[in-house]
Amino acid sequence: MIEVQDLTKQYAGRTAVDQVSFKVEPGEIVGFLGPNGAGKSTTMRILSGYMPPTSGSAIVNGHDVFQASMDVRRSVGYMPEMAPLYTDMRVKEYLRFRAELKGLSGKMLRQRVGDVMDQCAITDVRRRLIGNLSKGYRQRVALADALVHQPPLLILDEPTNGLDPVQIRHVRELLKNLGPKHTILLSTHILQEVEAICDRVIMIHQGKIRAMDTPDNLTRKLRAASLVQLEIQGKGPFIPLLEELPGVRKATEEGVQDGYILFSLRVEARHDAREAIMDLCLRQKWKIRELHWQLPSLEDVFVELAATEASKA
Amino acid sequence: MRIFWVLFKKELRAFFVSPVAYIVLALVMVLSGFSFRAALSVLESAPSEGSIVTWTFHAMWFWLSYFFIFPLLTMRLFAEEKKMGTLETLFTAPVHAWQVVWSKYLAAVFVYCVLWIPSYLNFRFVDWITVGQVEVPEGALKGSYLILLVMGLFNLAIGCFASSLTSNQIIAAVISFTISLLHFLAGLFIMVVGRRVSETFVDIISYFASMEHIRIFTSGLIDTRPLVYYTSFALLFIAMTHQVVEFRRWRP
Repeated sequence: MIEVQDLTKQYAGRTAVDQVSFKVEPGEIVGFLGPNGAGKSTTMRILSGYMPPTSGSAIVNGHDVFQASMDVRRSVGYMPEMAPLYTDMRVKEYLRFRAELKGLSGKMLRQRVGDVMDQCAITDVRRRLIGNLSKGYRQRVALADALVHQPPLLILDEPTNGLDPVQIRHVRELLKNLGPKHTILLSTHILQEVEAICDRVIMIHQGKIRAMDTPDNLTRKLRAASLVQLEIQGKGPFIPLLEELPGVRKATEEGVQDGYILFSLRVEARHDAREAIMDLCLRQKWKIRELHWQLPSLEDVFVELAATEASKA
Repeated sequence: MRIFWVLFKKELRAFFVSPVAYIVLALVMVLSGFSFRAALSVLESAPSEGSIVTWTFHAMWFWLSYFFIFPLLTMRLFAEEKKMGTLETLFTAPVHAWQVVWSKYLAAVFVYCVLWIPSYLNFRFVDWITVGQVEVPEGALKGSYLILLVMGLFNLAIGCFASSLTSNQIIAAVISFTISLLHFLAGLFIMVVGRRVSETFVDIISYFASMEHIRIFTSGLIDTRPLVYYTSFALLFIAMTHQVVEFRRWRP
């Protein structure tokens, strides 16, 4: 659906996107993840036919974004960051205008506009001026606009930005349901979002792709050791015994609570040390209140990526 | 073409849902009323060579309103969309830049034409009320509105171009006002320095002297040179606007 090869975009001497290559298969939901200014929006603008790349190529739905910009635009539903809309128009009027621009007419137009308003839950505000709507509604109007011509590919730049938790859940549900029929490329800097809906993650930082994998694999590949939290009661010495266990790198005492001593153990990545710890506790007759393996989240991956970048620079 | 009409309707609508069109309409109505009144009093006081049409378009009131029309009508066109970011949604729909530029420009031209309807009615009314006592020469009337139209095409194209340069409406207005006014004042150059300069220089200046064009057309003469001059420059400015809008698609 999308084929990007060595894509580079320079603005007046500054490189926003640097030799990026990736592929998106039909039906996939791919998350574009990166801090602000990483080059997410620029890449998405290029893919939606808004501006051409400086060098490299991008093929969307079989059309080159520069040579066949109109064909690309017809096959993409794009929602820009901040959801810009004409504030002096009414919701339904705006969607009708957009649908006409995208080539719909007559019965088809009326039906599609009605459908997307239902899908995005904005039917009850269809006669309101867009300028008077809250951020959440505007965001959904922009999403409805992206969906109206039934494009095979959706490119959404921070689709849940500015929504409240209930609305975020609603939009995520909507995107998941669109999943099999549409290919979706969405950008975000919220990690839970990617974990919740994406089949694949592309991490981008300072214009370069840092990692590309499924959310699960990414967290699994994390080099950082994971943590086990332990609360026990009994007779020491605790730390030397705990550190003797295979896979445990370091044990530190975090404090005492209700007579229980809190330890956090750094263990090797992908090494589940819980059983060994349990056995040790039973042998030593320590009372256990908590034994918990903390899996690294995408957030940790992200922080680590950013940190390694910073140390290199 | 269908896309053009969709865009054109949207642009026209934007003029009439915002107060801009009404404010300009009111301004032009009041000041063209004043200039009409001024023309009537000239004819009242003494016998005169010029007709009522000539005097109307030479009144100070007319020129006072004239140069405010263009920035007010055109400053919004591109600057607002740039500021709100809607240019991005517009150009990710399957529309060509020429469709956007022409729809905006022609919508402004349409509103500009509507502005002159009340002033035209003034002449019709005086004909009707005085039962033909005051002569309203038909040719002069046609000539006047023709030159007004082409001068409008020219100045609106300048305004369109100015609006495409910036995302700030005030700056767009100032740019278009300055270019339009400078062009007008350059035409007045001869009046200021007299005829001390060379003959050819005077000739060149008179090619773009708006005052001179108005004088010729309001006396009922249709000179094709100003028509070609204004429309070709209008096309030039529209082509430049097109280039500015397409700038983001340029590649080294």
